Amino acid sequence: MENSANYITFVTDHLYQFYSYTSFANFTFGHFIMICIGLFFIYLAISKEYEPLLLVPIGFGIIVGNIAFKPGFQVGIYETGSVFNYLYFGVLQGIYPPLIFLGIGAMTDFSALISNPKLMLIGAAAQLGIFGAYAIALLLGFSPAEAGSIGIIGGADGPTAIFLSSKLAPDLLGAIAISAYSYMALVPVIQPPVMRLLTTKKERLIRMKPPRAVSKTEKIMFPIIGLLLTAFIVPSALSLLGMLFFGNLLKESTVTKRLADTAKGPLIDIVTILIGLTVGASTQATTFLTVKSVGIFVIGAVSFIIATFGGVMFVKILNLFLKEGNKMNPLIGNAGVSAVPDSARVSQVVGLQYDKTNHLLMHAMGPNVAGVIGSAVAAGILLGFLS
Amino acid sequence: MKVLHKYLRIFILLFFTIFALTIIQAQSSSDLRINEILVINDSNYIDDFGQRNAWIEIFNTAYNNVNIAGMYLTDDPNNPQKYRIPKGDPITVIQPRNYLVFFADNHTTRGILHLNFDLSNSNYVGLFDVNGTTLIDEIRFPKLESDISYGRINDGAEQWTVLQKTTPKSNNFTGVMYNSGDEFVKIDPYGLGMTFVAMSVVFLSLILLYLVFKNTRRLYTLNLKRLFSKEMNMPENEGLHDISGEVNAAISMALYLYRNELHDHEETVLTIKKVARSYSPWSSKIYGLRTSHR
Repeated sequence: MENSANYITFVTDHLYQFYSYTSFANFTFGHFIMICIGLFFIYLAISKEYEPLLLVPIGFGIIVGNIAFKPGFQVGIYETGSVFNYLYFGVLQGIYPPLIFLGIGAMTDFSALISNPKLMLIGAAAQLGIFGAYAIALLLGFSPAEAGSIGIIGGADGPTAIFLSSKLAPDLLGAIAISAYSYMALVPVIQPPVMRLLTTKKERLIRMKPPRAVSKTEKIMFPIIGLLLTAFIVPSALSLLGMLFFGNLLKESTVTKRLADTAKGPLIDIVTILIGLTVGASTQATTFLTVKSVGIFVIGAVSFIIATFGGVMFVKILNLFLKEGNKMNPLIGNAGVSAVPDSARVSQVVGLQYDKTNHLLMHAMGPNVAGVIGSAVAAGILLGFLS
Repeated sequence: MKVLHKYLRIFILLFFTIFALTIIQAQSSSDLRINEILVINDSNYIDDFGQRNAWIEIFNTAYNNVNIAGMYLTDDPNNPQKYRIPKGDPITVIQPRNYLVFFADNHTTRGILHLNFDLSNSNYVGLFDVNGTTLIDEIRFPKLESDISYGRINDGAEQWTVLQKTTPKSNNFTGVMYNSGDEFVKIDPYGLGMTFVAMSVVFLSLILLYLVFKNTRRLYTLNLKRLFSKEMNMPENEGLHDISGEVNAAISMALYLYRNELHDHEETVLTIKKVARSYSPWSSKIYGLRTSHR
């Protein structure tokens, strides 16, 4: 009788111990909210097709990261030795973003930019969003390094945002990455009202000269000269710029097709999976749901608006100095942020609403790819000044 | 002759590789600095044997590991090979921006960090490279009081001073440290200066690209033969490069459609493709069938 009582106590104790290990015992309201956010991301990706390649891994990563567990079993992403911790290493050490840039370089056609180099300046002007957000973050009491990391959201460049925040403010990496990717997905929602507000109907109807044909030599020279000019000025962005232009040279040289195909295919896909999943998983409710995260989301939205403002206004100012016939449509100004090709697509869609035969896509791709270079340069400057 | 050229190329390649490796080695050892010295140790840093002796701190200024093994420390400029730091011990590898402290106690039996000289009769310390002749760093120090060290103002800096706080194995600067971000925000609390400077740099980078690519096309289309030819007015290929992308696209589309149409009328064309069937035991019928009938 006593033996059976002992046995029942033993089983009950172990059952209770087992229960304490389950997610039900460790689940909090914060975890619930984060799982809902993860599900919302997956919904946006699948149903609305907003950046599905990014939002599906991130959304699922958020769910994975918010399965509550008892610490100490090498499960969580922040626990040394866990599988997710090893995968997260590539984010923390800034390894994944340059690899993604390699793929971006291999799939980007800089012809629009080479045929009309003026468009590069729009890519520079739209970086105003980064520094506007930096100033606001400073006002809200963030440290300079944190403010720099938050500011980079305005570049609308997920890999760059992850790269910079891993160096300057690793604690805020999850919030910054989620914010950057969320607003990149919401580019078609955020940008059009700002574009309409800042332009007149006459300006929206401006037709731009068709881009000229670009020779193969020019395309090959672009990544080499581009790297030399930009990296010499901002060597701190070398890992991003070097990989971007290297990937582009692989593509444009045409003799390394296999390498270019790998860079823009399997490699970028693998890295996107790893970066998306681990960044999502890094948003554990215990570390993510803070007032700072809310602040980052608010500043992120404002930074996109400022970036769009910077790009559109710059084109309007530039038009004051251009002859009739050479003027640019200010609706391509928004494409100065580096959300490729979403923001260029926004230019096209908004342009077509006012003139069904005025196709702005190719013109907008110029500032769009210039924005990628511009945001990498801006990240290098912030890294140089604030680290 | 071809063989000779081949060997010559290999020799030149090897020569430059070895030369480059030598430079890299030299750069690594040249990154070391004598950083701080304490001569009279009454109540200061204690060694592993619980003894207080004079010590010499070496600082690695590089951002990579530097192995000090094989190099020489001396208190006599006329005898640069006085103490050879033994090889084969992992403690001689100095981490990036890190320190190694040697004890000048004339007790080499206490380990490789204990030198075969003390600093009681000398005011000189020198660090020489593995060849025993190349000077890496040296310092002549003034007469020092008890427990007062002589060191660089900042780690690896040029200027030396008497340090009121001794800092073995740590930063010589003991004041409050600010990173560049904190300093930047002190003079630019609202980020306006940063915005102005950073935007200027972004613009500068892209303006340079703009200027280069604005003129690249001209360089590319420059006809040198024509430029240096006496017949200056050759109208060949005029305007060929001004064909817009739209025109090219239209031509390409027309060609594409034309070829597609051609194919539609040539249904009798037979295409023979060789189908590769690579052998694998997993796909073999022999292994897939039973050997005995039931």
